[in-house]
Amino acid sequence: MKNIYEAVDANKRKSVLVVAFFVVFVFCATYFISQAASIYMGYEPGGLGFVGLALIVSGVMSFGSYYFSDSIILGISGARPADRKREFDFYTVAENLAIASGLPKPKLYVINDDSPNAFATGRDPYHAVICATRGLLQKLSRTELEGVIAHEMSHVRNYDTRLQSLVAVMVGMVALLGDWFLRISWWGGDRSDDQKDTGALGAIFIILGIVFAIASPFIAQLIQLAISRRREFLADSGSVAITKQPSGLISALKKISMDPLPLHTANKATAHLYVVNPLGRGGMVKRFSGLFNTHPPVRERIEALQTML
Amino acid sequence: MLIGLILVVVIIGLWVASTYNFFVSTKARIKASVQEIGNQLKRQADLIPNLESSVKGYLKHEKGIFESLTEARKAIASALKTGNVQKMADAGSKLASIIPNISVAVESNPEIKGSEVVAKLMDELRDTSDKVMYARRLVIDLTADFNVKRATFPSNFVAGIFGFSEQAGLITPESGAHTEVKSSDLETPKVNL
Repeated sequence: MKNIYEAVDANKRKSVLVVAFFVVFVFCATYFISQAASIYMGYEPGGLGFVGLALIVSGVMSFGSYYFSDSIILGISGARPADRKREFDFYTVAENLAIASGLPKPKLYVINDDSPNAFATGRDPYHAVICATRGLLQKLSRTELEGVIAHEMSHVRNYDTRLQSLVAVMVGMVALLGDWFLRISWWGGDRSDDQKDTGALGAIFIILGIVFAIASPFIAQLIQLAISRRREFLADSGSVAITKQPSGLISALKKISMDPLPLHTANKATAHLYVVNPLGRGGMVKRFSGLFNTHPPVRERIEALQTML
Repeated sequence: MLIGLILVVVIIGLWVASTYNFFVSTKARIKASVQEIGNQLKRQADLIPNLESSVKGYLKHEKGIFESLTEARKAIASALKTGNVQKMADAGSKLASIIPNISVAVESNPEIKGSEVVAKLMDELRDTSDKVMYARRLVIDLTADFNVKRATFPSNFVAGIFGFSEQAGLITPESGAHTEVKSSDLETPKVNL
């Protein structure tokens, strides 16, 4: 039996571990690809220049989605602001949990969809947005809603939008780097006879570079998903630390995952945000597809929560 | 060698600074969260008369409810005046205890059972007592964070050097009825539906 605080700490440690592993992996991948590129092109700064360029391009591509995360997502999902009268429970529960966690009250939105789900976004707690579907507000009791909103509040408190954006920048950089390197080595450039002999070490670097260039975008994405799943566990235990009622979140997760209605407004770009994966329903290859999921299976999450009862 | 030494000193210095800042800022946040309890109780005290007047027509036969509402409001107002954290926290729980009485009255009176106004009253009462409960919880959580950091290695050194004393938080008696389990509590509760 773990108490809530141990559970939160354990989840934090595991999360840090996964992120550290990710950083080491990205470092290795960029190192080998850039080394290979510089040997291939025959001058030293070639590879590093590539890394810088890839980082900038990837950063620029992701910066908008990070900085404007609150408004972009809402545009995609078609949400309207929540009203204290119409969505009394949603509004007041969020208000109360903001008091409990000492965070500013997030902006609240409702998506017109009967499938129950919710997500949080925004670059920091001051720009946090929590979005719930109409189905969620209709189907959950106040206690269950508290569990779900507290889960979203802990995402906000843990700066998960920021972390996921940084990770996305890194994944994008590795993908660009690999892609560019493969293009150069494919098209060959103008390698002439006067190029200096790179030797056996150079050949090894080039082979390693090609292997990393092919494999690392894929591997980086897998680690990105593992990070996402870790953060879900962390948010679950954070939710219990705020409400002190695991049973609320447990029955909410059951209700959400049992619900037969598909979420129309979710797509691959926004799926990772929701409290329960809106796309991962049924399917024959469930066990294998666990690796490709943004969320851990609901059964495992409930088991983890039950140890905190 | 020298650079390594300097690096170690800088890292330790940064850690001490951030730990010190944790203690100072948490202390300030505890103080603010105590004020938040007062703030929420003030809101309760202002809310009750409004709620009373809006449901008076529906609950006019239920004099007891109004009496207990008035009593709760008075307790809150007087606790706010003293500014005593403990009294404020106690007054807040008084309101929460009225809610079951209202549900009983509503259940036994089919005339008001379907009334939206009464449902609204109960929603608002639950919400306001939740707000006070969560405001209290923040004090409890922050105090626990502070005291855990103060007692655990290695941050206890920083607490010792700068003389941070243990935070009291909400004072709850360590012994008394609420910490004891009577044999009657161990029986399976009987529910009549």
